[in-house]
Amino acid sequence: MTESNTPAVRTEGVWKIFQQEAEEVQAVHDVSLTVERGEFTALAGPSGSGKTTLLNVIGGLTRPTRGKVWVAGQEVTDMSNQELAQLRLEQVGFIFQAYNLLPVLTAMENAEFPMLLQGIAADERAARIGELFARTGMAGLEDRRPGKLSGGQQQRVAVVRAVASRPALVLADEPTANLDSTSSEALLDVMAELNRDLGVTFVFATHDGRVMNRSRRLVQMVDGRIDSDETRG
Amino acid sequence: MAMRNLLRQLRRTMLTAAVMVIGGALLIFSFALSDGTHEQWIDSGIRTSTGHITIEQPNFRRSRKLEDRLRTDVRGKAEKALAAPEIAAQVVAVSSRLSVSALASSAQGARPVQVQAVDPVAEARFSTLDDQLVEGRYLEPDDRLAAYIGVGLASSLDLRLGSRLVVQAQDAEKEIAAQLLRVVGIFRNGVPEVDQSVVHIPLQTAGEWLGSEHDVTNVGVVLRDSTAVAQVSAHLQQALVDSIERGDARVMGWREANPALAAAIAIDSFGNYLVFGILFIIIAFGIVNTVLMSVLHRHREFGVLQALGLTPGQTGTIVLVEGLTLTAVSGFVGVTLGYLATWYFFGDGLDMAALMGEDMTFSGVVIDPIMVPQFYPVRVVQILAFILAIGAVASVYPALRAARIDIAESMKFER
Repeated sequence: MTESNTPAVRTEGVWKIFQQEAEEVQAVHDVSLTVERGEFTALAGPSGSGKTTLLNVIGGLTRPTRGKVWVAGQEVTDMSNQELAQLRLEQVGFIFQAYNLLPVLTAMENAEFPMLLQGIAADERAARIGELFARTGMAGLEDRRPGKLSGGQQQRVAVVRAVASRPALVLADEPTANLDSTSSEALLDVMAELNRDLGVTFVFATHDGRVMNRSRRLVQMVDGRIDSDETRG
Repeated sequence: MAMRNLLRQLRRTMLTAAVMVIGGALLIFSFALSDGTHEQWIDSGIRTSTGHITIEQPNFRRSRKLEDRLRTDVRGKAEKALAAPEIAAQVVAVSSRLSVSALASSAQGARPVQVQAVDPVAEARFSTLDDQLVEGRYLEPDDRLAAYIGVGLASSLDLRLGSRLVVQAQDAEKEIAAQLLRVVGIFRNGVPEVDQSVVHIPLQTAGEWLGSEHDVTNVGVVLRDSTAVAQVSAHLQQALVDSIERGDARVMGWREANPALAAAIAIDSFGNYLVFGILFIIIAFGIVNTVLMSVLHRHREFGVLQALGLTPGQTGTIVLVEGLTLTAVSGFVGVTLGYLATWYFFGDGLDMAALMGEDMTFSGVVIDPIMVPQFYPVRVVQILAFILAIGAVASVYPALRAARIDIAESMKFER
């Protein structure tokens, strides 16, 4: 199987169990899921349904208790912390609910940070960021620090940061939860365009109806299990 | 990244740096005052005894006899060596003295004394006794039968300016010889033993009285400060190697010549190091606390960095580099500020007279109530190295905390 036709993500019998004092909490319960490249998929469900935990397991931010996970064809389950960091750097982009831009860096510096770690040349970084800032309506705000940007603008910088290094998939955890409806729609437009034009794979964890409506595949989770998996036109 | 964190979080950086700046300044102030005090003790002690360095006949210190004196040729070699250009900058004064135990008598009675026969001009540069004059004058080059005595002896023998006294001692032929002297000046040193027993007379008078001609019992050297002792001693050892091998001369530093003073300084230094050690520990805790607080405050930030692909090692390195940079810069600023503040506010000395009185003495040393700080470049290097070491050690734990962060957990933290 070549890199281009391996799934972006595959999980097989994944469990994640947390120990809370004397009690075991099964956050993810035997989840098997495949996300192909270019998908625009939403993991939906109420709070505590395990969607964020599953996203964290897929992104190598936390390790599964049982089961196996492949990202872009690489099995991540037995990777060392060093290898996981490398995987996140090269194959995964993250968008967080709280934006999580680095406060000491400008919008431009935040957006190019993963590429800087990858060792991509400055002119190439500038070209990619320039194009993505233009697409996302952020042109002219490159030198602003996060504190001087609105929530919607910060989240667009986070989107650019996640896609600029051209990862196999982008994991977005409640990306619209802190935004008003106008900013949410604008952000979803940007991500849908990047998915359509550049083929970026997006996997969302969300309980926002707008995100669910815009996704082309909707995976419903309840109590850590996949309850339904629906692909739309 | 580490530099940007420091520069763009200026308030946090300044607060963290303030602990180290104050610590560094306190250390330089404490060391400068302690070193200055010790240098004053040494200076006071050596100027009333045999100098930073003394050249003597090896048996003299034990026997105190005139027969164990430095012959004129050895004295000449020593004085010539001390005039050499390579050590000229270190040498402040050289005085060749003939010291003998004697009995001083007047119509009032007799007292044992220590007669120090000196060249008045050289001795005035060497000793502080001439500055401690309370009545009359110090010896002058043309004096022959002049005596400069302490207030204690003047009181014991009921001597005044112009009074006559007779000193008796064993001469070079081991015969008892007497010399009539007239009091030209009276001093108050503050050390009772000195005020009671030291009598300065002209060296030429002693040579004629005791038949010792131009021989002396020691050549004393006062240096710019005590740190030059090793260099000048080595130079003298080299110049006097033949005399030393023949057993005609011995070169001694002040520690060897004045062990009581050396012990007193060692004890005081030990106490100071204990206090400085506690100060260092407080500074170290301050650094650990501020760096650790900074790391905990940035829990989410470190989680984001690792989520974006930074390895745990790289994350820890950022914290370590921040800690070390902050420590190095703060240490340098602290030491510089400490130096300038100490020099500006206390350059002329810190007057402790209200606490310790005017006349405090120990081990033959008069303690000056005005403590004058002394700055040694080596102290600056030591303090900077120590602050940097503390910074490195204090940053290790926060760096490990940052490296071992649970990424998913850190994302749950709210700002």
